[in-house]
Amino acid sequence: MSVIEAKAGEGHIEVKNFALSYETIDGSVAAVTDTQIHVKPGEFVSIVGPSGCGKSTLLNAVAGFLKPTAGTVTVDGEEVKGPSAERGMVFQQYSLFPWKTVQENVEFGLKMRGMDRSRRDRAARTLLGLAGLEAFGKHYPDRLSGGMKQRVGIVRALATGPKVLLLDEPFGALDAQTRVIMQQILNNMWQRLKISVLFVTHDIDEAIFLSDRVYCMTARPGSIKAEIPIPLERPRQQSMMMSSEFLALKRGLMSLIREESLKAMGGEISDQGLQGLNIDLHGQSLADVL
Amino acid sequence: MSSRPAHALHPAECETPEIAAEPASIVAPDHKPVRISVIAARWFRLNKGRLRAALIGALSLVAFLIVWHLLTKYRVVFFVRFTNVPSPLAVHDSFTKAIHDPKFLMHVLLSCRRIIFGFSLATLVAVPLGLVMGRFKLIHEVVFPVSEVLRPIPAIAWVPMAIMLWPTNEQSIVFITFLGSFFPILVNTLHGMVLVDPVLVRAARCLGARETSIFREVYFPASLPHIFTGLTVGMGVAWVSLIAAEMISGQYGIGYFTWEAYSLVQYADIALGMIAIGVLGLTSGLVIRSAGKLAMPWGRT
Repeated sequence: MSVIEAKAGEGHIEVKNFALSYETIDGSVAAVTDTQIHVKPGEFVSIVGPSGCGKSTLLNAVAGFLKPTAGTVTVDGEEVKGPSAERGMVFQQYSLFPWKTVQENVEFGLKMRGMDRSRRDRAARTLLGLAGLEAFGKHYPDRLSGGMKQRVGIVRALATGPKVLLLDEPFGALDAQTRVIMQQILNNMWQRLKISVLFVTHDIDEAIFLSDRVYCMTARPGSIKAEIPIPLERPRQQSMMMSSEFLALKRGLMSLIREESLKAMGGEISDQGLQGLNIDLHGQSLADVL
Repeated sequence: MSSRPAHALHPAECETPEIAAEPASIVAPDHKPVRISVIAARWFRLNKGRLRAALIGALSLVAFLIVWHLLTKYRVVFFVRFTNVPSPLAVHDSFTKAIHDPKFLMHVLLSCRRIIFGFSLATLVAVPLGLVMGRFKLIHEVVFPVSEVLRPIPAIAWVPMAIMLWPTNEQSIVFITFLGSFFPILVNTLHGMVLVDPVLVRAARCLGARETSIFREVYFPASLPHIFTGLTVGMGVAWVSLIAAEMISGQYGIGYFTWEAYSLVQYADIALGMIAIGVLGLTSGLVIRSAGKLAMPWGRT
């Protein structure tokens, strides 16, 4: 267990005055503008927003894959200069190495760090046990179901003992039933490890169920529209998703996102179209909402 | 919230639906020892499709031999002339003679040696070159135009040039074989490098991998399936080039044997040479396929 025990007080993510734009033939296009977010040590924070709002861009900048055009990204006061094992990442597309067994996948980060074989083996076994996968160490990822692959992905990212865990719509490719189970598993693991998590999703239920705090982003160019604390008690159970407290939070977040989604869709949707789609505007006209 | 409803998920329960959904092969069946006859029946049921294919394949080959026999026996002339074509039995006779003839074996072994030299050299040069070209832009920019200009030239068109370039006939034939397999291997290796999933590279970076590790642990294994496609195609073209080169400028080799048989009016030997070339090509292809399976145990079959 020692490999993955989060060090107390570590993993403070700070994103300040962040902006990121792409160069195109028509000039630069802003993906994210004027954004501040932070994740306190041991906190679980989600980012939700309409598709294309730049939430994955923001996460990739924290991971070190993208350089901000303006502003800073720091973890524990140190500026992020490129990808590193200090920031574990889980991708939507599983991203397990198909030519490595489950065990070898989990060991990969430790091998890169130069840990010897026997210690690596012991650490990987412990981690696989934690995720209920000890029986599958010798299997190649090809033979696992989507949910199992993503559990391996999470365990692999945790193996190097990162300060923070970044997840980019990790359950987006899973079916609804598996997704619910995976949310519970992630929730349980986080509860035990107390690691800082930054979680990107478009699933509002998922964000509320897992998080301490949720950032809601605006349509492109993305910025933070609202920050919503989730005061639901811990440890969380799936049954909470039916509670009035949960539903109230969900209603609030949904209306925030719907506004932005409509903006993102632009002129494609008219008042008439909305009626056809059975979208409730709560007595407001479309112009008010937009 | 204190009393959990019955449907609440417990971690232990979470595991069950997923594991149950796995194919039966993953959960090892722990049967008691069963009677041989039961196992045989089960084996038969599982392999029915393959047995059927093998049986039909064998029948089809026999039918081919019968048609060949009849065409040559009655010396059919119908657009195509079978007047001088040797019958299967004549080829069989010449085969039994040939396997006791050290000269025939020498022809076969020499051709094999040329393939091994030419093909191995091509692999040793083309695979690393393709990997490096796929990774470093500058090398790609320098090498690619040259390779694109040389690639469309069939290896056989190199014969006169090869004779000028190399001091011995043997060397020029190996060179032709090398050229034949070089480009398919290079192009496929490069293709494999281009298709490496960038998410895997990013995942490796996030886990602390540096350039050399990423090359060894991600780019190379990810390209292996395409490298082996290149090797299979390259082996085929190597044989094509070798036989042509042997027919033009050789003194030994199975291609030369076949051509010489024509000159010496040994018609049965022509067919024997052709069949030998076919068998050699098939065998070398199988060798590469098994090597591929050994090198990529993770692959889907």
